[in-house]
Amino acid sequence: MTRDELKEHILKKYDGLLTPLETGVFDLMFEVKPANLTNVARMLRDDEQLKFDFLNNIAGVDTGEQFEVVYSLSSISNNLRLDFKLVLPYDEAVVDSVKDIWTAADWHEREIWELYGIDVNNHDNLKRFLLPDDWDQGYPMRKDWDAPDFVRMPEL
Amino acid sequence: MGLIKKVPVYAEHVPGGGFVATQLESVLSHAQACSMWYLLFATACCAIELMCTGASRYDFDRLGMIFRPTPRQADLIIAAGTITKKMAPRLRRLYDQMAEPRYVIAMGGCTIRGGPFYYDSYAVEKGIDHIVPVDIYIPGCPPRPESLLEGCLHLQKKIKSQKLADWHEK
Repeated sequence: MTRDELKEHILKKYDGLLTPLETGVFDLMFEVKPANLTNVARMLRDDEQLKFDFLNNIAGVDTGEQFEVVYSLSSISNNLRLDFKLVLPYDEAVVDSVKDIWTAADWHEREIWELYGIDVNNHDNLKRFLLPDDWDQGYPMRKDWDAPDFVRMPEL
Repeated sequence: MGLIKKVPVYAEHVPGGGFVATQLESVLSHAQACSMWYLLFATACCAIELMCTGASRYDFDRLGMIFRPTPRQADLIIAAGTITKKMAPRLRRLYDQMAEPRYVIAMGGCTIRGGPFYYDSYAVEKGIDHIVPVDIYIPGCPPRPESLLEGCLHLQKKIKSQKLADWHEK
């Protein structure tokens, strides 16, 4: 299945659930409504023609206006790749866990929870991951984060 | 303490005598400076240069510098690489476990002032002199083996110039 065929297949079969975006450079990029996340994830994994059985990465993004959570998927058996993202306003920074769909999500979700303060529903092991255990300075990957010894790169 | 064992050998060659007069201070500091055993503490890419310096081409051993895997046997800690805030208490702990007199070399930009991670980093300690007292700073990213050797020679010079009275202050 080529990139264009994949896009066509997804648009036909998952109409309304995945909205294509033009920002994907190497892999296709879609937007998914946060409420549909687990649904979409399960369907992408279980679809016989796609079989996205491998979760490459979950990335948190703070754009300065909103949070985004980007999921990168691979299909080992069908040699496909696909990205989709959720857009979350600052005051509703919550995602559902996909840990029971891809176990790899466990650590990634802990990471975005810890570094961005994006809450994760239904995650049974949500505890400190990268930061020191006694960390009390908030969420360091947020755009508005600051600390006494934190130095921002000056504008050049 | 290689020199003390060799003193009788040298003394044999002193014309007309079987003894040599010297200061205890200079013998001790010479012995100390020429057998600096360093702790393996390499946290980032500076470690590659440290390994290169330790290997046959640059041959750290000829300065009497042999790596030790435990702080109990080390005189020197070469902090080679980025120290994160999470690593900092571990560095302090290793330093505290070393027997005195002990020395610290800050190798590379990261250990001196955070290096390339100075800006926009929440995780990197901006200089290990906030954690342990540093004797020699070696700038570079990473410093070449020549720089590291130069730094070690400076440290040797520093040790050789120490007086016995300085020991308890260190």
